[in-house]
Amino acid sequence: MSVLETRSVSIRFGGVFANTDVSLKVGEWEIVGIIGPNGAGKTTAFNIVTGFYRPNSGRVLFKGRDVTDLPVHQRTALGMGRTFQNVGLVKGSTVRENLVSAQYLESDYSVLAGMLGSPRTFVAERGLRRKADAVAELMGLGDILDTQVVGLPYGVLKRVEIATVLATDPDLVLLDEPSSGMGPEEAHELGDTLLELRRELGISIAMIEHHVPLVVRVCDYVYCLNFGQMLAEGLPDEVRNHPQVVTAYLGEEAENPEIAGAEKQLESLLDSE
Amino acid sequence: MATTVERDRPGGDDRPGAAAASGTEPGVRARFTPSPLGWAARGVAWVALAWLVLVFPLSREGFELQRFSQAVIYGIIGLSLNVLLGYVGQISLGHQAFVGIGAFTSAYIVTEQNLSFWAGVGAGVAVGGLQALVLGGVSLRITGLYFALVTLSYGLVAEQNVFQIEELTGGGQGQPAPKPSGFESDWRYYYLCLAFLAIVLWVDWRMMRTKAGRALLALRENPRVASTFGINVKVLTLLAFVVSGAFAGLGGALLAHNDTFVSPETWSFNLALVFVIMTVVGGLRSRAGVVIGSAFFALIGYLLQKFPALQDGLNAIPGAPDLSREIAPLVIGPILLLVTLTLFPGGIGQQIRPIVGWLRGRRFDLRDRGPKEVQITDVRA
Repeated sequence: MSVLETRSVSIRFGGVFANTDVSLKVGEWEIVGIIGPNGAGKTTAFNIVTGFYRPNSGRVLFKGRDVTDLPVHQRTALGMGRTFQNVGLVKGSTVRENLVSAQYLESDYSVLAGMLGSPRTFVAERGLRRKADAVAELMGLGDILDTQVVGLPYGVLKRVEIATVLATDPDLVLLDEPSSGMGPEEAHELGDTLLELRRELGISIAMIEHHVPLVVRVCDYVYCLNFGQMLAEGLPDEVRNHPQVVTAYLGEEAENPEIAGAEKQLESLLDSE
Repeated sequence: MATTVERDRPGGDDRPGAAAASGTEPGVRARFTPSPLGWAARGVAWVALAWLVLVFPLSREGFELQRFSQAVIYGIIGLSLNVLLGYVGQISLGHQAFVGIGAFTSAYIVTEQNLSFWAGVGAGVAVGGLQALVLGGVSLRITGLYFALVTLSYGLVAEQNVFQIEELTGGGQGQPAPKPSGFESDWRYYYLCLAFLAIVLWVDWRMMRTKAGRALLALRENPRVASTFGINVKVLTLLAFVVSGAFAGLGGALLAHNDTFVSPETWSFNLALVFVIMTVVGGLRSRAGVVIGSAFFALIGYLLQKFPALQDGLNAIPGAPDLSREIAPLVIGPILLLVTLTLFPGGIGQQIRPIVGWLRGRRFDLRDRGPKEVQITDVRA
């Protein structure tokens, strides 16, 4: 059974068809990549999956359950976690506070008990902080736990964000351009981390990613969106060499044999890692 | 849309994060412990503070002591508004109605229903929370300026209608609200108010240290991110609104019995402005700052009366209007508000940080301006 499945999901904003008949699947333990040029509707698809947008038609199934009409926070409770393209963190707080905030559903006391200061909540709070430390350790953030999020380098923020998502104890993690703002080496390390997370925590991952070497290395399956429609899907290597995908990225001229040389050059550039 | 502006505060760069960047590991630096002499100095300061709050007001009596009780109650009202303005980021311009309804409820329960003071205060808190639940349930689907407008009109409706119901408010003469048995004397009532303030401080502190408070801080900054943490943004916002309403109702009930009398004229829009100003000048999200700021505004009139020189000095300013005690807060307030918003966005809370830190046994550090804050425009449109 797949963890996530969208069945011909469509959404339009006014006259813009942002997603048309988008169907994708993320199997258990799978890492799935979603690629496509800017404005192809990748983030829109994520917003539909996580519940920020309600599709005009089509269904979203999570762990076999139809979640199309559930609000965001209930999908989180079912085990769906996501990151944002422009970093979704509470910037005024420290890394640790973010990791504890993200465990909102893990705090097993009532809001009222917390406000009245029942003794049990003090114990529970210690547990939450311990788990925050453990997650930070896993993501290699142990040194900056007490640092305020504002002012951390972008690449580090992306790791902190993944850590907060892990703190919500997800089964499926949706990452929106996790390697943006990272250099090639950092991106390579991120790939190691993702593979390790799957191995250690048994989570499934869907990620929007532009960094092709990273996609090819970690993804089991790749979808390519263009103008809101599914252009191609398959194994990473298949999709990368799919003629229509190449066209979508490089424009019509790429099919012209005269400039095939330029295409080769570009491909080798993408491969260079 | 929330506009986010990263604002560097003066001296903000050498806060904890910078330690890691400059190579010194945060944990390695030895923790600062004051010398015995340092502890003694802090002890003296604590005793002086306790004397100021617990003993000094007892040297006053009657009307004067009631002003000190009022200052304590304003502290509760300031904390109530701080929940909305500081934690949720929504502004209420109708808070005088919240407080007033608490006051009339308690007076009504005690005078008309012949129930005890405790039942009156309990009802004040309950009705305060309930009206917030109803008003918030209807109007919290809009935010920012428009929400402020809704609360503004709510305050006016309460003024023109609810406070004109004679059975509830006793009409023009107002509703008597006797002091509770056992607390008839002004100094006992003063201590009672302090006890209630302590309870409110405790609840506020625990709320911010547990999941509800963290959820509020997250959703104030970014509701989308908060919802991916599994936080039900609407419910949490409403909860904060109810907490704020309950605190306001408590403040109102205590005010009523402090003056032993509630009159409909008290609850005008002017009061709502004073409440907002005292909270912001006190310093959003700083409990100590809010209480100090609120107490100051409660005491402005008293201070002007007590020190005629002050009053004369203010009146001596050429072209200044006659500063009667009633409108003094409304003249001094906006000036302080301007200073706060332009120079010290953290208000009094930010100013006293070095002192509070010192009192808690840390080094006296004048550059301590608190965490570098991400300023959300405090009214979210």
